[in-house]
Amino acid sequence: MLKTLKRISLGASTAIALATAAFAGPYDEFAGTTLVVNFPAHPHYNAVMKVLPEFTKETGIEVEVDQLPYMKMRERQTLELGQDEGDYDLVAYVVFSKADYVYADQLENLARYFMNPKLADPSYDPDDLIDGYVYNIGFAGGNKGYLAGKTGSLFGVPYGSETSVLGYRKDIFEKHNLAVPETYEEMLDIACKIPQLEPGMGGLSSRAASGHHAAHAFLLHLAPLGGRVFDNSWNPIVNNAAGVEAANALKTIVDCGPEGAASFGFGEALGSFLNGDTAMFLDTTVVAGQIDDPKKSKVVGKVGWAMHPMGVRRGSQTGGFGIGIPKNAENKDAAFLLMQWLTSKTGDKLTALAGGNPSRFSTHADADVNAKFPHMSIFGEALKHADPDWRPIIPVWGKINADLGTTLSKVLTEDLDIQTALDGVAERAKGIMDEAGYYTWQ
Amino acid sequence: MNYERQNPAFYALLITLIFMAVGPIVLMLANSFKLDVDIIGGTSGLLFLPTIQNYETALCDVLWYELDHLDFCSLKFGGAFINSIIIALISTLLTLVIGCMAAYALVRFKFMGRDTASLTTLMVRMVPPAVLLVPVFGLWNNEFCISKNSYFGEIIRDVFGGRGDVCLAGTHSGIILIYVAMNLPFVIWILQSFIIQVPRSLEEAARVDGAGPFQVFFLVVLPLIKPGLAAAAIFTFRIAWNEYLLASALSDRGTKTVPILIVNNMSEFNIEWGVIMATGMLLAIPPIIFTLFASRQIISGMTAGAVKG
Amino acid sequence: MAPAIIIIILALLYPLGYMVYGSFRAWDPSQNISESEFVGLKNYITLFYDPAFRESLVVTLTFAVCVVFSELVIGVGLALMLDRNIRGMSVLRTLFILPMMIAPVVVGLMWRYMYHPTVGTFNKTLKSFGLDGIDWLGQNALLSVIIADVWQWTPFIFILSLAALQSLPRSAIEAAKIDGATSWQQIIHIKLPLMMPVLIVTALLRLIDAFKVLEVILVMTEGGPGLSTEILALRISRTATEFRELGVAAAMSNYLLIILLILTVSMYAITRIQENRAARLARQIQEEY
Repeated sequence: MLKTLKRISLGASTAIALATAAFAGPYDEFAGTTLVVNFPAHPHYNAVMKVLPEFTKETGIEVEVDQLPYMKMRERQTLELGQDEGDYDLVAYVVFSKADYVYADQLENLARYFMNPKLADPSYDPDDLIDGYVYNIGFAGGNKGYLAGKTGSLFGVPYGSETSVLGYRKDIFEKHNLAVPETYEEMLDIACKIPQLEPGMGGLSSRAASGHHAAHAFLLHLAPLGGRVFDNSWNPIVNNAAGVEAANALKTIVDCGPEGAASFGFGEALGSFLNGDTAMFLDTTVVAGQIDDPKKSKVVGKVGWAMHPMGVRRGSQTGGFGIGIPKNAENKDAAFLLMQWLTSKTGDKLTALAGGNPSRFSTHADADVNAKFPHMSIFGEALKHADPDWRPIIPVWGKINADLGTTLSKVLTEDLDIQTALDGVAERAKGIMDEAGYYTWQ
Repeated sequence: MNYERQNPAFYALLITLIFMAVGPIVLMLANSFKLDVDIIGGTSGLLFLPTIQNYETALCDVLWYELDHLDFCSLKFGGAFINSIIIALISTLLTLVIGCMAAYALVRFKFMGRDTASLTTLMVRMVPPAVLLVPVFGLWNNEFCISKNSYFGEIIRDVFGGRGDVCLAGTHSGIILIYVAMNLPFVIWILQSFIIQVPRSLEEAARVDGAGPFQVFFLVVLPLIKPGLAAAAIFTFRIAWNEYLLASALSDRGTKTVPILIVNNMSEFNIEWGVIMATGMLLAIPPIIFTLFASRQIISGMTAGAVKG
Repeated sequence: MAPAIIIIILALLYPLGYMVYGSFRAWDPSQNISESEFVGLKNYITLFYDPAFRESLVVTLTFAVCVVFSELVIGVGLALMLDRNIRGMSVLRTLFILPMMIAPVVVGLMWRYMYHPTVGTFNKTLKSFGLDGIDWLGQNALLSVIIADVWQWTPFIFILSLAALQSLPRSAIEAAKIDGATSWQQIIHIKLPLMMPVLIVTALLRLIDAFKVLEVILVMTEGGPGLSTEILALRISRTATEFRELGVAAAMSNYLLIILLILTVSMYAITRIQENRAARLARQIQEEY
């Protein structure tokens, strides 16, 4: 793997070196600058850490990385972006922070940079970036404020984005002659059969811990089962039939899941799949790298991938991270250069080969990447059904999300009635939305 | 010393208690020498091939040799450890010096009655760090600042670098200040209970011999209250060394302390048990050493703080 | 004296005042407090009707009461049993202090590991005996958190009550023995009443500390599942950092302070009463024998 990485980066650096000779170097002016960037502790960004030295070698721009767990990272950014002059030149932000930051006018609009001939690389090929990711993560001000639309513009570039896929144990499925589930019904059925077929093994490992984890797991099922959190006039409809079905699905999964599943965070859920305690895993694509790492995984080579099963429609999640330039950054131009380099075709490929999640179509189709990660083509397929509206990205979402997550956790551990629970969430969400002014025009 | 002989059941109880008290710590120590695969994989016993790889990973930023098992050094434990030491030592020292003077003044010049003093101590001790979180966060970030254009502000920015106005937040001093304030009442309380026991006649004798007030304090009083000082020092150090919440709100990437690092690394993507246990062990070692060598002082401090309170 | 007063005013009293001021405002971390809008008692009223806040209040009180009660019973019980002059006592005391000295963050970490549903020590042990594992940090999260705190802090009560026991007037106990009092009677009629003032102070200190617990729970459960372990301290810090509502967090802190103030003052009053009563009792015992 290192060999390929080296070969590619060598190629890249020669290409850049040639370009440097021809154009008198777009990076020259910034050589010696130190950029302070804020990245999450996340498999994709761990891959980025391996690629960054390459950037420094090519451009002479130093990068100092402050890596934090992503919820901590968000807290830190809340503080830093609020200052007159902040510490960070480039930040990776969680997708749902997009609403907060853009609304508070804390991220640079990228138009100015892509218009600047000295900064913008003509070979960048923005059309190659995956549409769903761009609109979900980088774009703001379109339809509903957070979707694609004519009124929006770009504030960040997706980097470390993800969608959902179903991982399953090929060996277990073969042994019991099970078909890979195509629909939710089949998936739930198999999930509950596994504990009987393989005593001690759970069906599907899902996150379910109180708060963000439970909410995330629920939303993952809500979209394919035909539900939404809000209707088109911002009325909460999370408590309709589809919502109840999604919560039921989550409950079934946890009940038929591994021991202690109700308190699993993402780490525990993934851990139990890596440890061979469950037969399926339905969550983000970001885990693929670890599943084939013998240092962390006991199921190397035993895992197959399939699309997120269908309910009444296909609808896999879109999420992960984007990178943007804070308004209060010191070295904005150099930060843009780093951002452009990382998300360029070469940068994206290097990151993918180091185990990251590509955000370009070309990388998903790339021969080297597919040779190393055969699942990449299935991931590319899954991306076609990525649903940017599976979760609303509005400034008050954090609060509703937290309430949804704690309430669902009660459903899972305290046997709270699902309809009552969701009615409660809807009612409180309505209050929060009302206070935030979403019903002003009604 | 004469010991009473007890029946074996009694010793069995004693051993069970010791096992319960120390067991979890020993377990952590053992796990810190195991690979993750072994921790997760089931070998729960004490039979395993010990490895120092976890400690190497934790200390990767201060080791002089390259590590084969790491692609890059993500855990900056060494730096955090130094921050923790700076913050804990300076705040302990400051608390002791200031606390000593205040306790002496309280006892000798009778600033307040004993009851008032103990009630005040109790009130301050009552305030949970979580309550201080919001105001301290706001003040340290926005109010306790010097403009970067002022004379001192410019000097500080020239010497230490950084951006924006010079604020207490994100500096060692900011964290030290709140720790000193939190610990002072308790330290004053312990020390004054020791100072009261210093016979006044001793001080007067020294004064007659021509010693000034400072000499009296340093040469007569201080040596006599050494056990109290030791106890107070250990308690202050313990809080400053272990505290997480306020430090996490006030520190920036350069002033992170070890507890912050540990909480951060309980992050949701793949908990690396071995490495976390190793960092936990490293954080726990200084207090453990204190306990083993100064348990008498700790107990006397604890009883002074509670029984005489 | 002066530096101490300055520091306490600057870093404790002023912040507390600042917090009261902030609790009347719709205050956001990205704002300076003076830019925020004055909303009067709104934060307090919202909280009063907020089911999550109420639940967290109940959790906090349950946690504090359970923890202090179990620690008192176990700690005093052990002290009464072990109040003998035996070899190994000083070793026990030294080792017993260890849990208290270790960082709460690390304590949380150890217990989170031991409680882990599949990897953890407890469930592994249970399974090796052929029993079912227990869902420690799921359905039983509050209990599990309480156990961890009891582990860490029972020694505190044990050591203080042992010290109190050993400072009791030996003559009274000897005399009672001669009178033919069983050891149970000695405990009920002499030892416990005489220890009472110390026990109440100890309980008060533990109660105060129980309201401060945050790190252990943060590391073990992050307040979950549901809100079942979300104590007020944790709720305050989440409201401030996660929901970005500093004003509400400040109001919540004030509620917490008021509760603590009432508890402390009433316990303090009880201490004074008990002290007098114990002094009377001690005199009485001395006179009787």
